[in-house]
Amino acid sequence: MIIELREFTRVEGNGKAEIVIEDGEVKDVRLKIIEGPRFFELLTLGRHYYDVPDLEARICAICYLSHSVASVLGIERAFGVEVPEEIALIRELGLIGELLESHALHLYLLVAPDVFGYPDAIRMATKHGELVKEGLALKAFGNRIRVMVGGREIHGINVKPGGFGRYPTVEELERVEKESEALLRLARRAVRLFAQLDPYGAQAKHFVATDGYLWGEKLVSDEEGAFHYTERIEERSLVYSFAKQSLYKGEIFFVGALPRLLLKSEMLTPAAKRLFEEHREKLETGYVSYNNLAQAIELVYSLERANEIAKTLLDRGIEGENVPVEPREGEGIGYVEAPRGVLIHHYRIDANGNVAYSNIITPTALNHAMMEASLLEEARKLYGEAEERAMIGRLEETVRAFDPCISCSVHLVKL
Amino acid sequence: MMDKLKLGVFELTDCGGCALNILFLYEKLFDLLEFYEITEFHMATSLSEENHYDVALVTGTVSTQRDLNLLKEARNHSEYLIALGTCATHGSVQGSVELPIREKLKAVYGDDGNPMRALDSKPVVEYVAVDFALPGCPYDKNEVYQVLMDIAKGIEPVRKDYPVCLECKLNEYECVLVKKGLPCLGPITYGGCNAACIRSGLGCIGCRGPLPGEVNPASEYEILKDLGYDDEYIIRKFKTFARWEP
Repeated sequence: MIIELREFTRVEGNGKAEIVIEDGEVKDVRLKIIEGPRFFELLTLGRHYYDVPDLEARICAICYLSHSVASVLGIERAFGVEVPEEIALIRELGLIGELLESHALHLYLLVAPDVFGYPDAIRMATKHGELVKEGLALKAFGNRIRVMVGGREIHGINVKPGGFGRYPTVEELERVEKESEALLRLARRAVRLFAQLDPYGAQAKHFVATDGYLWGEKLVSDEEGAFHYTERIEERSLVYSFAKQSLYKGEIFFVGALPRLLLKSEMLTPAAKRLFEEHREKLETGYVSYNNLAQAIELVYSLERANEIAKTLLDRGIEGENVPVEPREGEGIGYVEAPRGVLIHHYRIDANGNVAYSNIITPTALNHAMMEASLLEEARKLYGEAEERAMIGRLEETVRAFDPCISCSVHLVKL
Repeated sequence: MMDKLKLGVFELTDCGGCALNILFLYEKLFDLLEFYEITEFHMATSLSEENHYDVALVTGTVSTQRDLNLLKEARNHSEYLIALGTCATHGSVQGSVELPIREKLKAVYGDDGNPMRALDSKPVVEYVAVDFALPGCPYDKNEVYQVLMDIAKGIEPVRKDYPVCLECKLNEYECVLVKKGLPCLGPITYGGCNAACIRSGLGCIGCRGPLPGEVNPASEYEILKDLGYDDEYIIRKFKTFARWEP
């Protein structure tokens, strides 16, 4: 017998799951990504490098800037271009804006209704309007940073190889400095709220993240130092899903906010670090539901870090000079932490500056196997014990804990 | 008090941005909710209770049999259907990959055939009649707000009829095509984005698709040729969001 779950709600994109029951027991769970394929690597093939980041941004609306930055990093590494600290800091600020926007959307509008027992945030707002407003305030702040750095709330075009179309102004940075401080109180409250979640889903055995907090030269894992994805991560196609599955050294692993905190807690800002220590025991159990608690702690981190970056840039002043980019034959990989985990853009570029090979691996694809393992764990726990509706509700919450971005997951290619 | 209009949001294959953009309306979303009740919007709510919609917003391309079924359901059960965003109106980026579906799938997933029933990505407007088409990758959120408010008040929404250049001039931005020689599709692209790319000092990438009517793509083509861009580059640029033949 197969129990087919309806399409997931309150996630980005289209997906569903099937629970396979044999002899009265849960035998298997299949996570089916039914969003149509989008063929981004084919789209970018043969394109001039300069246009590629704008196209790659379209992979995902919630994390377009992570895609732009990963794309730009891959292209710059292929050409051997290095950017000065100013440009790196502004990019980081953009990624922080995205983390705030995405985490606030996820936690307040998509997860909080589960905590309070409502079908959505709009209906939750009748009784918990203040909370919804707080979430929207954080989200709007994140989006303002995205507009400042990326050029638009969705699919901005401002992040370019070698720099930006337009640089932030002093007024804009002063506003970031002020608002990031004012909003910190709300983020602390979010940590208290999401610390109350039950442990559910599978317990991760392996964690993977980039070596810097929001981007890196390479990846790191819980058992070893820096490595390139090609050395440890393998992808495989599935007959029932448009997204591929990835394994780390042949095993299931987890990317996202929880892995970031656990692998890179020493990089956290002061208040975020204190909150991490306070909840460390819980987080270290590795239950996927604590990913939401980790996201809330990252709201605090993001606001503190945005404040630091704005201050630094204001102190040193903005020069607004792009680094000249000379195309040459080369290969480069961009590693970024999208809000929902590791994102990889890998390009080979020919002597004319056109893309000759491209491979993109998104966090949702990296987490695909971990999501299935979590669904299986929950289904086994609940099948025959809980009512079917309650079981399905919990399974949906389990998938939601990953903050999966299904649109992003459907265009993986090896050419 | 009049009954609220039933609003459904249907997401086919896309990046999620057109649905997300509705949530980005913030307090204006609550203004809309004075007139509308959202009864289908799976990114935002777990509720799904109606099978009749006064207004249906459909985002994304038809890229699978599932998308096609969902589109037909939306069309059959709605009074007023809006194709929302460039995927729905023109096919956008995924619609511009021109290989046959079998070859595309083979390149990505290997030789396992087509078990998930993928189709070539096509815009919504190629499958059903729509009552309004609002392009943009993404569309301007204030535009969708205006369109929904117009409908709620019984006014037929107005389609814009000017290129990006007009909004660029109104903002007094420097012309990047003439002054900087950047490839800018502003002169032939459907306005409504408030010249977002030119605000950043960059050229318009044409994400709202071609402006219908009195535009002159041939002249744009010549300008770009004169600036030194080769044929293939220009044609690709023209085709990226709208499969537009120059």
